[in-house]
Amino acid sequence: MRTTLRRVAVGLSLAALTATAAACSSATADSSATSSGTDAPAASALDGKGEVSIDFWHAMTGKNGEALTQLADQFNAKNKGRVKVNLQFKNTYDDTLSAYKAALNSGQAPDVVQVYDIGTRFMIDSKSTVPVQAFVDADKSTTADIQPNIAGYYSVDNKLYSMPFNTSMPLLYLNKTAFTKAGLDPANPPKTLDEITEAARKLTVKDANGRVTQYGFGAALYGWFLEQWTAVGNQEYCDQGNGRDGRGTTLKLATDDHVKLLAWWKKMVDEGLAPKLDSNTTTADNAFTAGTVAMTLESTGSLSGFLKSSEGKFEIATGNYPKINTTDAGGPIIGGASLWVVGKGKDDAHKRASWEFVKFLSDKDSQATWHTSTGYFPISKGALETEVDKQWVAQRPQFQTAITQLQNTPLSKATQGCLLGAMPQARKAAEQAMQAAVLSGTEPRAALEQQQEALAGPIKDYNQSVAG
Amino acid sequence: MTAPTLLAADTAARTDRPPGRPRRAAAPARARETALGLLFALPGLAGLGIFVIFPLFQAVYLATRGNDILGNPTRSVGMAHFQELLTPEFGTVLWQTLVFTVLVVVPGVLLPLALAAPMTQRLPGMRVFRTAFALPFAYSVSAASVVWLIMLNPGISPVNWALGLIGVPAPNWTTEPGWAMATVVGVTVWMVSGFNLLVLAAGLAGVDEEVLEAARMDGATGPRQFVSIVLPMISPSLFFAVVTTTLAALQALGQVQIMTDGGPNGHTRTLVYSIFDNAFHNNNSNFGLASAQGLVLLVIGVLIAVVQFGVLERRVHYR
Repeated sequence: MRTTLRRVAVGLSLAALTATAAACSSATADSSATSSGTDAPAASALDGKGEVSIDFWHAMTGKNGEALTQLADQFNAKNKGRVKVNLQFKNTYDDTLSAYKAALNSGQAPDVVQVYDIGTRFMIDSKSTVPVQAFVDADKSTTADIQPNIAGYYSVDNKLYSMPFNTSMPLLYLNKTAFTKAGLDPANPPKTLDEITEAARKLTVKDANGRVTQYGFGAALYGWFLEQWTAVGNQEYCDQGNGRDGRGTTLKLATDDHVKLLAWWKKMVDEGLAPKLDSNTTTADNAFTAGTVAMTLESTGSLSGFLKSSEGKFEIATGNYPKINTTDAGGPIIGGASLWVVGKGKDDAHKRASWEFVKFLSDKDSQATWHTSTGYFPISKGALETEVDKQWVAQRPQFQTAITQLQNTPLSKATQGCLLGAMPQARKAAEQAMQAAVLSGTEPRAALEQQQEALAGPIKDYNQSVAG
Repeated sequence: MTAPTLLAADTAARTDRPPGRPRRAAAPARARETALGLLFALPGLAGLGIFVIFPLFQAVYLATRGNDILGNPTRSVGMAHFQELLTPEFGTVLWQTLVFTVLVVVPGVLLPLALAAPMTQRLPGMRVFRTAFALPFAYSVSAASVVWLIMLNPGISPVNWALGLIGVPAPNWTTEPGWAMATVVGVTVWMVSGFNLLVLAAGLAGVDEEVLEAARMDGATGPRQFVSIVLPMISPSLFFAVVTTTLAALQALGQVQIMTDGGPNGHTRTLVYSIFDNAFHNNNSNFGLASAQGLVLLVIGVLIAVVQFGVLERRVHYR
């Protein structure tokens, strides 16, 4: 009897463990969407409402989090008695979005939420937000101050849906000291895959036992990088005009360029010019700042951190994000995250208060503060013209590469980036293919085809569930 | 989540009618006693109902549903989610879960046993060692995973540096498929060993010196004494260690997610990781498929429990 009971107890506790994990977030199902409209109330909505308190869910840690708190304090001081914003840190982008989904179901949604670029299609489809464009139109103002390439990502049918906030683009980072030592010119960084190989051969250093002490190149097998390479090649990453003309149905993973890229990467590893790294960017970042790899790929957002960790050890230079083919004439996508004004279940005063806060974060002074304290790319053209910003860039010439790179990037559907409901899964699928080809030695085309096929299901599921 | 349910089940077990009651008590008194008994059992039953029975049915229901983009259950998809489990991919996940569990449980119990044996000797300084070896148990999964990730980071790894000193080339800890599994297993073993060491050391300390002496007089020494006398006497502790370690290995998620994220290319994807991935990761909200996989985990858990309690426990010697 005792054993039977215990058996049941163990079994049931296991059941509870697994079942509740899946059930708890969907048990509160209440899909009766009483859309309180996606119209944007005018400034008068705040009149006579006293101090309106709004919640902002974000995913900014460390220095970035501190800078955000500083901006929010400024806003609260300025709007005393009118609007008060409460910051709520929700861990990673992934977790923030999960929390937002659950909150929509239980009616506990925040007023403003920060969502990563690849969550854009999902946010539009959730029909829970007020498009930023609606507020801009209601205020009879414009979005002219926003960098067009940045606004491009978050615009669908020429309508700006969310306010870009923390944006970054990828760069090629060089260990300047190692470059000079190897007789290379850091002012003239490699521009293509072949040039990287050539430089890496000179940069790779072995010790007396034949073990590599410095690799020429090394970057995380991060899905974002593959998206960037595609855009630099001026290629669309998914069909339907990168998901901008209609709902995307296929991810173009198994392309000749991608095959070429992964074959190149594998060869770099086989030749001992690059270490085997996984998709975790922190690991690759550490390898670069420790001097183990002499060239890496990272976002502009990492510049400040890199400068700090390499201080006294070596100098850093930057170059444009490399091309797969010499003829590639596109440019990188400017990614990051944006701010969404939640409309579902919110009254006019809250919607308006949210917009006031979003507007504040996007103006040129806030963006100059934000840029100089975090290293993210300012979304406001005017921010780059402010004194504080000019000084900051003058002290960090490495950042000038990013500004020039952005200015030289033509705005096209390719450089706007692929919009896909299943984009987070698509990024993961790309990483799986990269890992398969570079780490487990699967033939690149086979690895890419396999993941493209595996992703067809989630894309179809997503499109079906949106259709109802 | 496990602890309260176990407690709840225990409470339920204790409400079994006490034996040896007089057959015919006064009827009102009996009714009152039954009511009182039920009242006492109610909190336990409520817990069991809310946290065990209801989610179980919820999981079965969800497993037959599709999901909208917010994760709400929508149309019925019948057995489609279960059909998705009949693929080589899911077979690989199950196989990797099995490999992971075996590789964690066997060394995770044997290693502490080997350490506990000398540590129960009354030698100076053993107390310090015991504390030091038991310490990993105090780490949370995420803290331990992050620490090990840094220790094995190809750029700054002290482990690789130490290996270099003795001329051993460092492996690609988390990026070579075989090594990635070994690394995640190793960290898990490191984490469970501390607790198992405590349990087994306590078991060994409880072995009666007189029994050992009697055995010695009968000529049982060394390995013979360990196998025939000590092992049976600590079998309850050993059994407890095996059962809890199996559960811990089956439920392992944090170390996989943080150290390899199921990679490289899915080579460390285990069942619980797969459930988490389908339900919450990468903006997924495929609760249907996750629930179907959760039910598979339930079946596996029950099967293992039946084997452990049906076969292993028969050999356990309770004093």
